[in-house]
Amino acid sequence: MPMYQNKGTDEHPVVRALEARQDEIMRRLYELKAAVDGLAKTVTTPDADVDLTVTTLSQSPVTTAFRGTSDLDTLLGKDLGALRDIVINANPAQPPLTLLVLHAMLCQQYRVLSSVHVHSSVSAVPTQLLSCLGLRHADSYLRQRFQLGFTLIWKDVPKLQMKFSIQNMCPIEGESNVARFLFRLLAPYPSDPALATLVDSWVDTAFFQLVEGSTKERAAVLRALNSALGRSPWLAGPEFSLADIACYCCILQTGPPSSTPANVQRWLKACENLGHFRLAQLLLQ
Amino acid sequence: MTKDGVQGAAEETDQAQSKKGLKKQQKEAEKAAKKAEKQAKLAADQQTTDEDDFAKDRYGVSPMVQSSQRLDRVLVRVQELTLEKSDQLIWVRARIHTSRAKGKQCFLVLRQQQFNVQALVAVGERASKQMVKFAANINKESIVDVEAVVRKVEQKIESCSQQDVELHVERIFVISQAEPRLPLQLEDCVRPEGEGDEDGRATVNQDTRLDNRVIDLRTTTSQAIFRLQSGVCQLFRDTLMNKGFVEIQTPKIISAASEGGANVFTVSYFKTSAYLAQSPQLYKQMCICADFDKVFCVGPVFRAEDSNTHRHLTEFVGLDIELAFNYHYHEVIESITDTMVQIFKGLRDKFQTEIQTVGKQFPSEPFKFLEPTLRLEYQEGVAMLREAGVEMGDEEDLSTPNEKLLGRLVKEKYDTDFYVLDKYPLAVRPFYTMPDPTDNKYSNSYDMFMRGEEILSGAQRIHDAQLLTERAIHHNIDLEKIKAYIDSFRFGAPPHGGGGIGLERVCMLYLGLHNVRQTSMFPRDPKRLTP
Repeated sequence: MPMYQNKGTDEHPVVRALEARQDEIMRRLYELKAAVDGLAKTVTTPDADVDLTVTTLSQSPVTTAFRGTSDLDTLLGKDLGALRDIVINANPAQPPLTLLVLHAMLCQQYRVLSSVHVHSSVSAVPTQLLSCLGLRHADSYLRQRFQLGFTLIWKDVPKLQMKFSIQNMCPIEGESNVARFLFRLLAPYPSDPALATLVDSWVDTAFFQLVEGSTKERAAVLRALNSALGRSPWLAGPEFSLADIACYCCILQTGPPSSTPANVQRWLKACENLGHFRLAQLLLQ
Repeated sequence: MTKDGVQGAAEETDQAQSKKGLKKQQKEAEKAAKKAEKQAKLAADQQTTDEDDFAKDRYGVSPMVQSSQRLDRVLVRVQELTLEKSDQLIWVRARIHTSRAKGKQCFLVLRQQQFNVQALVAVGERASKQMVKFAANINKESIVDVEAVVRKVEQKIESCSQQDVELHVERIFVISQAEPRLPLQLEDCVRPEGEGDEDGRATVNQDTRLDNRVIDLRTTTSQAIFRLQSGVCQLFRDTLMNKGFVEIQTPKIISAASEGGANVFTVSYFKTSAYLAQSPQLYKQMCICADFDKVFCVGPVFRAEDSNTHRHLTEFVGLDIELAFNYHYHEVIESITDTMVQIFKGLRDKFQTEIQTVGKQFPSEPFKFLEPTLRLEYQEGVAMLREAGVEMGDEEDLSTPNEKLLGRLVKEKYDTDFYVLDKYPLAVRPFYTMPDPTDNKYSNSYDMFMRGEEILSGAQRIHDAQLLTERAIHHNIDLEKIKAYIDSFRFGAPPHGGGGIGLERVCMLYLGLHNVRQTSMFPRDPKRLTP
């Protein structure tokens, strides 16, 4: 691209068409890559160790996203012969979009029993929030058949809260922290500490500066996003990560920015193409 | 006038007695003297009253209401005495809750059910000195008719339910006089737990209260409890009626015990004996077989268990539900839990004052629930208990302490006081319980819990005569005795399920009370048959 820009900085229709074509090709490539990754995942699922050795051998700083960590025992501790139920208390005034996206992704990887409840502390909840986890699973009368429970309770809480293992864990507060927890069930964090920290920092930026920040701050974040996305296809390198989910959802929540930089625009499109965000988008309508 | 005479007589007998006796005698004498003095004064007052009381038509004891006349008088309810009524002349009928005389004026607290208002009788152009005296001497709990002007007050009256106004009494008539000595004081009955101990003031224990139930029921707390209980019944009926249920009445005198013969009352029935129904179970099921589809029944249930606990009664009101379902018994669970949630919501929305009134004496956290109701499976419950360090077998029944602990664990994780525990082990349930289709160790049965205590036990029933016979044999039940019951399923019976709730327990647990006797108007237990 720099080549073209050097030749004719003026907006030439041919150049623009070319650029558009390139973007389109890039996007399709990403999609293809995602599909191949998905296939690779199913192939390597039975033995996660192999996957790990491969990455260490190749000295790649990034592990492949979406590894098949079907072995929940290693992630969540020993199995007690009962459903592992994740309980999330959320305020209906602020629906946690990132968690809904992560829920949809969890459903692709595990057998998840999802249920939505309304706590007695809130009286009226909009109907779209009651069905925000999708249709009820046909087997939902048999709780033992599921690997994970995802229980969303609409409740009058000042801060989103997750309760999981009440004997060993204190309740986790804040949507961003719960998102981090859920994402680890889907894929391990990058093994490179710098990259892992980068993901974390993007998540913080999304929740504190995009959602709660002023217009000025938001514009600054958009500029930062743009420059980051100029360097790599996703926010934390070549792999789709929690950073992308959090930033995308927070942009969605604050409404479309008045002027979106080109890289951000391309990235937003790419996110949409993944199909994870459809439910969240529906919810905002 | 008799003062001297009494003292003289006392002195004469003194000499023959010991010192201790002497003191006692003296005291008694003083008492008698005082009494005499009082009487004398009263008589004197009466005289002066007769002589120069300009207000003598404005007070007194009314002749007994024998329906000799019908007055066009409008009696305003105490509850309606608000600022809107200020400066109006109104009539009120109420009880004397307390009275306090102070020189030329007398403050009364007039009570009507759970509401009360301050009234003032003061010497002036409307009331005489004698009238104030009369008002001050009316015994507590007497019923009076009062004509008064409603007046706005400067400062809110904190001790009354009507805080913005007081009544300036113009006329006061006693309709029904209470005896001067009450077996217990109402204020002592409503004192919050623990508070009496600190101040060294009296509290009334439960047995004394129950012995004098009529007076105890007058307290604001009792009034609120039983109004709420009536609300539970009403909400139960309304919800089920809206769902297309039919209310049925079943016999309480039955020929055979329905659930094990041990805890059943036997009554003599002409030349033979009969039993008091432990539950309308069999009749509910027969109604299902008779195509009533969805039935419920509100009525007394008897248990001859000799257990003296905070949650057992020998007679209580059962709210029973039974319904036919299409394919899965969870349709029944959903129907019952939805009914319960409607009741909780109705109480939360319509009975807030009652809940708060009870909360003043018995503070508790507000009742929390989820909609739709949380359903856990027995295995999950066992896993939660094991995680908390309880050792128990897979098919072991939950003990009462474990039930409570599980309730606390569920509350901590899900923040709900109401949940369903599904899929109980088959071994711990009655013979008519349908076994689980995938694992014969478990069954299609469920319990519902409020604040960690069981309120409902239910299941899908076996609607197949063959399987029912098998299960009965497995439980060593004499087939002859339950022949009629099994026979009702021979001629086509729809799949069905249900459950029964104890009204008193629901009220007790909803309000967070500690004893089921508090929510039973005239409780019956192994040690109490009166009042």
